[in-house]
Amino acid sequence: MLLVIVAAGTWYYLSHRGAGAGATLPVYFTKLDGKTLGDLSVSLRPPQPGESAAEHLHNTVLYAAVQAVAGPPDDVQAVRFPSGTRVLGVSVDGSTATVDLSKEIERQAGGSFGENGEFKGLVYTVTGVPGISAVQVTIEGEKLQTLPGGHLELDQPLHRSDW
Amino acid sequence: MNWTNRFTAPIGSKFAAAAFLLVAALAIPAVANTSLTAIYQQQSIRFTHLESYGNDTAIGVDDPGFATLLRESGAVLTWKPGERYVLITTDVPVVVSFSIGDRRYDVGPISLQASFAPYQRGNEAYLPFNEVLHALDLALRQDGAVAVVQPQLASLDVRNEGDRVTLLAHGGAPIHPRIVQQSGAAVTYEFDGVGTTLTGTRPIGAGGVRSVTIAQSGTARDPKALVTVQLMPGAAPAAPQQTDDRDVLLGFTGSGAPAAPIVAEQSPTPMPPAQGPPVSSTAPSVAAAPAGNPSAATTVTGVTVQRVAGGVSVTIAIAGNATFEWHRLREPDNRFWVDIQGAQLQGPPIEQNEPSPLLSMRVRQDDPTTVRVALSLSGPKSIEVSPSNNALDVEVGDNDVADVPRSGSGSVGSVVAVSEPNAAFVTPAPSDEYAEPQNSQDTTWKFGPRDQNAPQYVPTNPRLIVIDPGHGGSDRGTIHGGVEEAVLTLDMARRLRDILISRGWQVKMTRDADVDVYAPNADAHQELQARADVANNAGARLFLSIHVNAYINAGPYGTTCYISKAEDVAFARILETHLAADGTKDDGVIKSHLYVTLHTRMPAALVETAFLSNPSDYALLTSAAWRQKVAQEMADAIGQYTQEYPVPNQPAQ
Repeated sequence: MLLVIVAAGTWYYLSHRGAGAGATLPVYFTKLDGKTLGDLSVSLRPPQPGESAAEHLHNTVLYAAVQAVAGPPDDVQAVRFPSGTRVLGVSVDGSTATVDLSKEIERQAGGSFGENGEFKGLVYTVTGVPGISAVQVTIEGEKLQTLPGGHLELDQPLHRSDW
Repeated sequence: MNWTNRFTAPIGSKFAAAAFLLVAALAIPAVANTSLTAIYQQQSIRFTHLESYGNDTAIGVDDPGFATLLRESGAVLTWKPGERYVLITTDVPVVVSFSIGDRRYDVGPISLQASFAPYQRGNEAYLPFNEVLHALDLALRQDGAVAVVQPQLASLDVRNEGDRVTLLAHGGAPIHPRIVQQSGAAVTYEFDGVGTTLTGTRPIGAGGVRSVTIAQSGTARDPKALVTVQLMPGAAPAAPQQTDDRDVLLGFTGSGAPAAPIVAEQSPTPMPPAQGPPVSSTAPSVAAAPAGNPSAATTVTGVTVQRVAGGVSVTIAIAGNATFEWHRLREPDNRFWVDIQGAQLQGPPIEQNEPSPLLSMRVRQDDPTTVRVALSLSGPKSIEVSPSNNALDVEVGDNDVADVPRSGSGSVGSVVAVSEPNAAFVTPAPSDEYAEPQNSQDTTWKFGPRDQNAPQYVPTNPRLIVIDPGHGGSDRGTIHGGVEEAVLTLDMARRLRDILISRGWQVKMTRDADVDVYAPNADAHQELQARADVANNAGARLFLSIHVNAYINAGPYGTTCYISKAEDVAFARILETHLAADGTKDDGVIKSHLYVTLHTRMPAALVETAFLSNPSDYALLTSAAWRQKVAQEMADAIGQYTQEYPVPNQPAQ
């Protein structure tokens, strides 16, 4: 049995070692000028045995969204999501990814600066996943037209071209 | 000359054979349920979803004790049953990504190898406990019969900026160093409450600092990390600077004399064993993976650096066959490293400064089977990695280059594989396609299909300007020091209205009192649509929304004009030109997805006049004279725009 597993492993390695090895995802963040993007690169895993293309896309979008909301390490100057904001889940429908954020996203400082920079980084990062071109944001599972007291329109999918 | 040098704790082994990966992924873990009570920051935490996995321990993500530990350390876990990734966002923040069935895990941009692959049992994911703790900058220690989850002094970055050296210390808990010993030759800082495995001495030789020694004292439950900095004559330490709870900057300034070049230490202080014995017996073991020494015949026999035409060549002499993998970080973190896998380092580690285009080089046994050669570069230099029968050459060019590969792999020895950058998809840099236009005639901004097909707007009332004072009534906007955005925007709008009327314009305000436009406590959509409706229904020439900006810290300041539609660009450009003289920073025009600029049919702009969260902008905003000046500049901009862009003849559709 062990030999079978090792043989299968060797076959898998030899047949998959080129594909996707070293794939990376740029994680974008908005710099403190409020408009320029910076990015960090994180590595992505190739599809794994038993993982369908749809599952792989879902998992990659989730990874991208969590990275974008976390932002770069705190010694990098960046517009940041309000403290405690989490990605509750993602879903993919065609080329649109829905990213469900926790209600902490509503703890904005006020002003357009934070909202604009946060969503710009999120949308650029998630649409960096091949096959995704738009991001629909929901908050605790609900689609909102804007954040309370907010400025950005959120009830439509966001595209890179919105910036 | 700037360079960086980082003290970090190594973890795990890397890049085991893929067959082993698959075996690990497919193997049904032989596990035994167990529990553990440990002290963390003076509180007792009971972990109940632990499983022994060989010599290691797995922790279930639904473990209530684990949830407490994550919460207390400021981390968040993201996972649902069936999902592949188990993601932990740390306090730093860094995303730690585990993957079900895969021993590889990532801490931010760094890929590491766990002692076993995470697995799912029922509806719960189980992670390698030791690696999770390490990623959180924690370690499990034993204090007699008591287990302790001990925060660590996790890293100490050394940065040289000319004649100044700074040490950036990062802890797994709040760190507040105090000087416990100081003389002209050395200063010792005590970090109370954190242990460390970074112990040893590193030569620095710059910025007035000879060397840095890290030691530990105290007990497992009450640990202390000691950082002793040996100083050059005339050097002086600055007061520790707390950048946040877990980061402290220690600065040193040299006497001005050039630092003596440092020759590689022949024998750095050996690392003592980690504080306290690993947990064992009644509790599951979470000791680091055994430091076995496989009988690798391959050795790295030496590393030489020599000047060649156009750069320097770093030659890593290798006896035997080995695979290698290299990575480089993006600017401004210009570090490169190559891991020689399945190899042993012959001789002591090397750590030394190097001339440009290098800054420094480190060579060490990174784990029992991997030798790492790490280079700090003086910029985003070109790098070529070339394997041969008995060496790996890394050629670093003098010139800066853009858009370089960031990782690659190959093999060296009797069967040489050409080093090729790893396949990667990289989204095109956003700066080209979506760059801010350089002038009002430039159309490099992209506008969505909703805008492209819209008919040209022709105002039915070309002498009417709609002014929208942001927020109001139940929505106060941002508030700082008792000053409310809703009040300031109304004040500036009224000032602008009076000037425009004096110049013969008709003006409609979306609100002329401290009230909601739609209704008290309406949702934002109703409120913002009501403001757009005022302008759309009146067939206004222009729509100008006046706001006050804010951020979570006092840093950002300046004036910004936000737009959304193609027809907004020229108006915003002219507004920006006039507002540039308002006394704060001109942050230019930003295209965004703002509701009121999207849903108004005429040229529109939303001006964030200044930041109430910034002290100097706050002083401006609370000055009536400044608000009058801003109103004047807006009125002048409206005058200029309407002169330069006359109304088309066709009536509005």
